Amino acid sequence: MIEFRDVHKWFGDLHVLKGIRLRVAAGEVLVVCGPSGSGKSTLIRTINRLEPIQKGELIVDGMKVHDPRTPMTKLRAEIGFVFQQFNLYPHMTALENVTLAPIKVRRMPRREAEALGKEVLAKVGLADKLHQYPAQLSGGQQQRVAIARGLCMHPKIMLFDEPTSALDPEMINEVLEVMRALAREGMTMIVVTHEMGFAREVAHRVAFMDYGELIEIAPPEEFFARPQSERTRLFLSKILTH
Amino acid sequence: MWGIYLEQLLQSLPFFLKGLWMTVAVSGLSLLLGTAVGFLWGIVRASRRRILKALIGAWVDVIRGTPFLVQIFILFFILPEFGVHLEAFPAAVIALSNLAACFICEIVSSGIESVPHGQREAAVSSGLNGYQQLRHVILPQALRVILPPLVGQYVLLIKDSSVVSAIGVMDVTRAGWLTVQRIPQGILVFGLVGLLYFAICYPLIQISGALEKRLGRSSRR
Ligand SMILES: Nc1ncnc2c1ncn2[C@@H]1O[C@H](COP(=O)(O)OP(=O)(O)O)[C@@H](O)[C@H]1O
Ligand SMILES: [Mg+2]
Repeated sequence: MIEFRDVHKWFGDLHVLKGIRLRVAAGEVLVVCGPSGSGKSTLIRTINRLEPIQKGELIVDGMKVHDPRTPMTKLRAEIGFVFQQFNLYPHMTALENVTLAPIKVRRMPRREAEALGKEVLAKVGLADKLHQYPAQLSGGQQQRVAIARGLCMHPKIMLFDEPTSALDPEMINEVLEVMRALAREGMTMIVVTHEMGFAREVAHRVAFMDYGELIEIAPPEEFFARPQSERTRLFLSKILTH
Repeated sequence: MWGIYLEQLLQSLPFFLKGLWMTVAVSGLSLLLGTAVGFLWGIVRASRRRILKALIGAWVDVIRGTPFLVQIFILFFILPEFGVHLEAFPAAVIALSNLAACFICEIVSSGIESVPHGQREAAVSSGLNGYQQLRHVILPQALRVILPPLVGQYVLLIKDSSVVSAIGVMDVTRAGWLTVQRIPQGILVFGLVGLLYFAICYPLIQISGALEKRLGRSSRR
């Protein structure tokens, strides 16, 4: 479903992705962890070309994302992206937030889109918040609206960039719960997170990233029990002990 | 003595009202055109089209860095030497529209830039095309920032429109000039001229203030 072939990315002189090789199969859940600044966000932002790459090949759902001639709007509609800061549209209600793209991109009749939006918002536990504005919702609720916004497009892939990092601790679980359910349904997901409990439980593989490289990638049992690289061990000991 | 002048002034009131109508016509038309062009330029200026951006930026600098009177003289007196003849009215509307567009362009582009970057990223990611991003996500949020200074700018431009009297457009200011030749009581004549401008501008000042308060209060971020 997603394939990185020796992908490189620079910000000016800064080499941020250094020869990424990675295949993510349909239905797979991949968790990516690593220190701040290691390039995790950049990695998943290349998948819908929020960040263009400079070298290598990147194939997503059969489309050549690395090729500047590949039109992206169509592919982007198939990829849900959930941001750390939610990025909900503040001037729209929850329902308007989730129905905008179905109506404008999918050309779905408004009524149909609203029925869909209500259904998906109910699924993430927000049936009673349809007409609230983002500012009237808690962080956890906002992030669930953001997930619903992605799901309303019936995406083939969902990408999550530290979806719980901006949340108060007591709200983290309600968001993870939605993501667990999604994983169980067989959604293809890449999740950048430091929630190792989530990784253990739902990930098919866990990847460790450092200085723009994928250092290690393995099923969670192996990844946590027998990390191969010294850097992975060091990182895990740091985040698992606190 | 004042009584006589006042009576004369009252007799020329229709003349002033015609001038007022001309001021409204020139400014109204120019604000309409200037707003349309200014939004277009402002949107380009907040985009990533480098060459077009630089061109508009340079033009805005030239216009903002030269007196309006000089701009309008160039249009009216100097262009004819190159074979381009314009009547006073279209010359006035073109010059004032251009001035308006330049100021509005800056207001619009900084309004668009005030929208957090994540908004565009969310819109892009959901598959909206460039126009849809602008129309449904960026502009509605930018308008909160744009509207109060935009209406404030309208007031300034309406007052700037008095300059068009210099090329013979029969606006309120020119009505004042001509009248003061007959009624030497300048304070009376130009008092009336000022009052007429004030009558148009004051409601706009109020609207701008009210917008500022309302949009400031309900801004959700
Ligand atoms: N738009 C940008 N311009 C320049 N440098 C950037 C930009 N975005 C990220 N970087 C740099 O790229 C590196 C990787 O960033 P990022 O992918 O956000 O890391 P992570 O998500 O792992 O914390 C960091 O050094 C960061 O400062
Ligand atoms: Mg990051």
